[in-house]
Amino acid sequence: MSKQYLTTHTVDQAHATEIYSVAPTRSAIFSASGSSALQIHSTIKPTFPLQQTLPNAHRLGCHHVCTARGGLGNVAASVGFGGEIKLWTRKEDKDVNNQWELWWEIPPVKSNGGDVWAVALSADEAYLACTTSDGRIHVWDLVGRERIQTYETGGGNSNTGGGGSFAMAVDLSRDGKFTATGHESGAVYVFNNDAGRLVYSLSGLAKPVRAVAFSPGCKRLAATGNAGVIAIYDMEHGEHVSNLSASSDRPAWITSVDWNDTGEYLLSGSLDGKVKVWDVARGVCVATHSETEGALWAVRWLPKNEQALAPGMGKGEMFCAAGANKSLTFYREATGM
Amino acid sequence: MSQSTPNHAQNSFVSSFAPDATPRKLHLARQTSSQSSATLILPNNRVAIPLHNSCDDVIPKIEDIMESIIDAVNDGVELVIPFRSTRPAQAIRSTAPSEREGRQSDCIKFPGRTIQEAKKFGINPTHLHLQHSTMAHDSPLWIYLLEALFRILELSHEALLSGNLITKRNIYYQNIVLFKSQSVVDELVDSLAFTLGVGRGDLNIVASAKGLITGSIELSMRDGSTVHCGLSRDSGILLPSINSIDTIDFGCTKWLLVIEKEATFRTLAASQYAANSRAGQGILVTAKGFPDLATRRFLHAVQAVRPQLLIFALVDFDPHGIAILRTYKNGSCRLEHEEHVTVPAMRWLGIRSRDIGPFSCRRDDQGSQSTSGQCSQDLSSQESATYSYGGSQSERPSKRLRTYKARDLSESITSLTQGDRKKAVQVMNEISAAGNIGAVEREQMKELKRMLMLNIKAEIQAVDNYGDITNWLNEKLCSA
Repeated sequence: MSKQYLTTHTVDQAHATEIYSVAPTRSAIFSASGSSALQIHSTIKPTFPLQQTLPNAHRLGCHHVCTARGGLGNVAASVGFGGEIKLWTRKEDKDVNNQWELWWEIPPVKSNGGDVWAVALSADEAYLACTTSDGRIHVWDLVGRERIQTYETGGGNSNTGGGGSFAMAVDLSRDGKFTATGHESGAVYVFNNDAGRLVYSLSGLAKPVRAVAFSPGCKRLAATGNAGVIAIYDMEHGEHVSNLSASSDRPAWITSVDWNDTGEYLLSGSLDGKVKVWDVARGVCVATHSETEGALWAVRWLPKNEQALAPGMGKGEMFCAAGANKSLTFYREATGM
Repeated sequence: MSQSTPNHAQNSFVSSFAPDATPRKLHLARQTSSQSSATLILPNNRVAIPLHNSCDDVIPKIEDIMESIIDAVNDGVELVIPFRSTRPAQAIRSTAPSEREGRQSDCIKFPGRTIQEAKKFGINPTHLHLQHSTMAHDSPLWIYLLEALFRILELSHEALLSGNLITKRNIYYQNIVLFKSQSVVDELVDSLAFTLGVGRGDLNIVASAKGLITGSIELSMRDGSTVHCGLSRDSGILLPSINSIDTIDFGCTKWLLVIEKEATFRTLAASQYAANSRAGQGILVTAKGFPDLATRRFLHAVQAVRPQLLIFALVDFDPHGIAILRTYKNGSCRLEHEEHVTVPAMRWLGIRSRDIGPFSCRRDDQGSQSTSGQCSQDLSSQESATYSYGGSQSERPSKRLRTYKARDLSESITSLTQGDRKKAVQVMNEISAAGNIGAVEREQMKELKRMLMLNIKAEIQAVDNYGDITNWLNEKLCSA
């Protein structure tokens, strides 16, 4: 059984340069690119209009932007190529709808540690996990504005730390229990946040891991990357459950992966420009779309919105794909019209 | 100080202050020759290289400094020379790379009595292997600097008067005991040139030849000899200083390719690629890594006298490759005072992300929507069919290239180091600080960011599994 997704809208040239990351809230989607500004487009209007620009957010451009999966959508975090993290918050203002502003900023690490790379926000939007290129994971208390935890994955000594494999991806489970990281070495680590220690060291991909994502129910973890295969792990016992893969000799590198709200489907985007929807239970790809121009860096489902969508938006689940063609492409499930 | 100066140098020094007539006449003659040759158009693709000479100004300036040094030593007074270093005044790390205003330009007492003042000259005291305590309190350092600088001024003066060139290496070997290390000479020479507001070449001081060249062109030297660049079969010949070249016969060469890697240059030179390329005859040049001034001057001159010649750069897909490309095109920060060294028209042939595995292997399947898990099965069979064409490479070069790329190239792609990542950010900062962001700069930024995003780099050889890049080059040069 295949599913039908249609391109519902494309925001052409949403950025002047390649888009590296997107992050949805219930009503809008952040996008980050090689340019200095972040863009926020509305996802509840059929033309997906630009809602706000955050100018000069990151001078050298921004490689990661995130919102909390399953969160309220009041906080966003972005990381610039210069190594700075910026935290954004939505202003509660009845007159000005959905205006985001800078909350506070974590400057680049001055020490000789690796630069900050991927980020993830906890569902309650109170904690931020960020990885470094020398394999560390820092956890920040956003309200207290302090670093409360550092997980080490490298063999570096206890004083300096580091020395680990580049942590290219991170996610926090929605129940707040786990932090998962994907590394260049192919390793996937899962940490228990309450105990503050490593619980699972998951192998199986062998090639660089570029994306990790917990299922909404926090029972599963999906990890993927250069192997072109999506590995599914069970979080109760840390077992490898299944692999999702296209039957290709040399699959393209997968850069991004995301679960839909029900946990039934996975979305993946890869450097060959293909976005795929996978039925997790059956372990098959149920839809493939080819972007016309080049690599995809980010794919995300749009969270279900309680608000009534504008007329003509339909009820089907939607997702967004972005990358080298600088555009935001929105897809909608064809059934349920 | 005069005791340590060798006798013959002393003589030449004295003689240069004697009747003014000889030197003046000399560069007057040079001036006219350069003017006439600049406008001269020679038949048969032979182009004259104009002399860029500002020795008119330089000789009196050098003489002034030398004179004041002598006076100061004789009278025992403190010496004040407006001397500037090519290094930023403070430790480089503490200032943002964008701040190029950090260059020292004020009048300082020469020579400096402290380590700080020595550093203004670009002299790193550790190069001198002197005891720290000695330098902090006593005079050896400034006496040392005075001697070293005087010696360089003397040699430069001599070279300018005689019309000969002297290499930095040669200067060092003139007095190893005095200079202690090559880097002291290098820094002093560049600082001196910067102070006098001239290029290093205007002092008739050059770096030892580092660049290699091969191709069907002929260089007629100012000393009357002729150099055929195509004759040396496999290694190329050392690139002579542009000041020593009178004319270049470009023959029917259409392009010039600057290659970062010496190994790649040698492979291509050995296979006579410059003569056999599908893109027509061309010229290959390498500066063996980071470009030296001599190579950059040569390329600048070639671009000026032969604008129809297409100049390309082939560098590694890593932050250093892009830094090298930018140095050729736009110049370097440290030697910003040098003129006639940039090649703005240089084009970036490769390699870029699209030339290597993860981005080039894109397969176009027929429909935009395929509804099963077997999305690219048909294509993989197509690939294997193409692959069996292995024998007929020359007939179907583009197809072959595609096929090779489709195979696993992951071995030639490696991870960035922490240093590479820092370098990438540094180069991005430089691009952003330089302003004037055009399409070329955006492309450089994009490639740097792709490296960072994927944490990968690739060497030139990565375009082909077997390290044979001629087919790739043919395709690129023909479509350029």
